[in-house]
Amino acid sequence: MTFSLDLFSNAIVSGILLGGFYCAIAVGITIVFGMLDIVNIAHPAFIMTGGFIAYFANTQFGIDPLAACAIAMIPAYYLGRLLYRFYNVAFEKRGEESLQGLAFFFGLLFIIEVALLLIFGVDYRFVEAPYIGPTIEIGFISIPWRLLIPLIVGLGLVLVIIAFLSRTFIGKAILAVSQDPLALRLVGGSPVKVKEVAFGLSIATAILAGALLIIIQPIEPSFGRDFIGRVFCITVLGGMTSLPGTIVASMILGVSESLTSTFLGPSWSPAIAFGLLLITLAVRPVGIFGR
Amino acid sequence: MGNSLSIENVSAGYGSVTVLSDVSVHAGDGETVVLLGTNGNGKTTLMRCITGQVVPSRGTIVAEIDGERHNLIGLSTEEIVDLGISLVPEGRRLFPRLTVEENLTLGAYRQSARERIAASMDFCFEVFPRLKERRTQLAGSMSGGEQQMLALARALMASPKILLIDEPSVGLAPILVARMIDKIAELKTALGLTVMMAEQNFEQAARIANRGYVLVHGQVAFAADSVDDLRNSDVVRRLYLGVG
Ligand SMILES: Nc1ncnc2c1ncn2[C@@H]1O[C@H](COP(=O)(O)OP(=O)(O)OP(=O)(O)O)[C@@H](O)[C@H]1O
Ligand SMILES: [Mg+2]
Repeated sequence: MTFSLDLFSNAIVSGILLGGFYCAIAVGITIVFGMLDIVNIAHPAFIMTGGFIAYFANTQFGIDPLAACAIAMIPAYYLGRLLYRFYNVAFEKRGEESLQGLAFFFGLLFIIEVALLLIFGVDYRFVEAPYIGPTIEIGFISIPWRLLIPLIVGLGLVLVIIAFLSRTFIGKAILAVSQDPLALRLVGGSPVKVKEVAFGLSIATAILAGALLIIIQPIEPSFGRDFIGRVFCITVLGGMTSLPGTIVASMILGVSESLTSTFLGPSWSPAIAFGLLLITLAVRPVGIFGR
Repeated sequence: MGNSLSIENVSAGYGSVTVLSDVSVHAGDGETVVLLGTNGNGKTTLMRCITGQVVPSRGTIVAEIDGERHNLIGLSTEEIVDLGISLVPEGRRLFPRLTVEENLTLGAYRQSARERIAASMDFCFEVFPRLKERRTQLAGSMSGGEQQMLALARALMASPKILLIDEPSVGLAPILVARMIDKIAELKTALGLTVMMAEQNFEQAARIANRGYVLVHGQVAFAADSVDDLRNSDVVRRLYLGVG
């Protein structure tokens, strides 16, 4: 394939757009895995759940996918809190979180996937919205609205979470528990309660990311597995606890995938996340923004 | 209405290792009590027992807060802090990647303290002007002395009635140790605190303590009703004053 400037520019632009979406899928893992040490590999299953919530609300009631998931974030937050409480009692309290906890989330991933399969079947499902279809053309660069919206929402989501963590009391407590849980207890805070809030928040972000996913492309239930490598790659590359790092790492992954898929073919792009993950671990294990 | 702390016949340890045996220590309302003892004699372990981090195998720990008695054994650390007992822990345990201001804010975790965060913070900045200058600096990047001030200020943000301090002098230059001890005395008077302090620097601790205990091998080797009794005791003379 010959190199051409307009192909290259378009690949960069779609990479950035994709990166915006990746911010939304990874931010929850940065909170839960990066800050709280919980290996929630079921996170992508919650993203898929969000996608199907958007699909259901859109096809049944004609509700906008983003609006549907924005509302669904509220019950998802409480569901996430319950889930953490269970995880804490069943695994964390007994000090069995590393292996058995991992197995638990692995099981959860499959259970959710199977449940979605039983409910929605194996066909690709999609949504309708006014911004799916039209494209903005600037010179030879084209920006589809269905990718621009996820960029805006994805970036916005991370910025809101950054503000939440740095401005609110409970947000500061979440940062504190990630740095020293015993010190939090010594000022009178309960690490379990604080982590519960953070976990709920993480699940809520997954639901919103699901809406963005189904806006970008049609989905089917087993799709979520493709994102496991990506979300962990972004969190590690970004420096585990750093949310600005999550944004930068999302952009790097998005652009790398887009360039590879343009110039080497789309079948390569799933390998990029694992490639980046390995390079990061080999060259700079603390990530870009790590300390 | 009194604020006091009574530790009676406490034995405690880690796993099968017994560190404290049959320790009885008391701090009365408004007193400053010092726990002396060289390295590894169980001062920190006793502080951990009081704050619910180590559960004693025997004995009782009772705190009286505003005249109300609370049995501390079985309560979680956060519940004990919520009663009005704050610890300045060994190693300071600041949140290293949060700012001075954020560390202080979190110090006011207790519901009753959260309502007066602004006033408490103004008070801390008045007592420690250095912290005010450094309010936006990350706690982990401050000097040892500044970190010790912050640890003390953060504990005060909870508006405690009983303040536990584990070796305030550790890692500080002699001049700073004296200043830190003065500050503790000043705060104790200003806030009407009951203070229990673990310390190895006998001379400095003696300046502000009303009474003291000497822990040796996890037992109370000497309990003194006054600082003079402490100074004249064989064990203090041997361990701290280099006589006998
Ligand atoms: N977490 C722990 N696990 C096991 N043993 C411990 C633990 N913490 C302390 N110890 C042991 O308990 C004993 C008493 O330690 P402790 O920290 O209470 O002494 P200390 O008087 O505070 O000493 P220092 O002045 O050095 O701080 C020591 O022998 C120590 O090794
Ligand atoms: Mg100690």
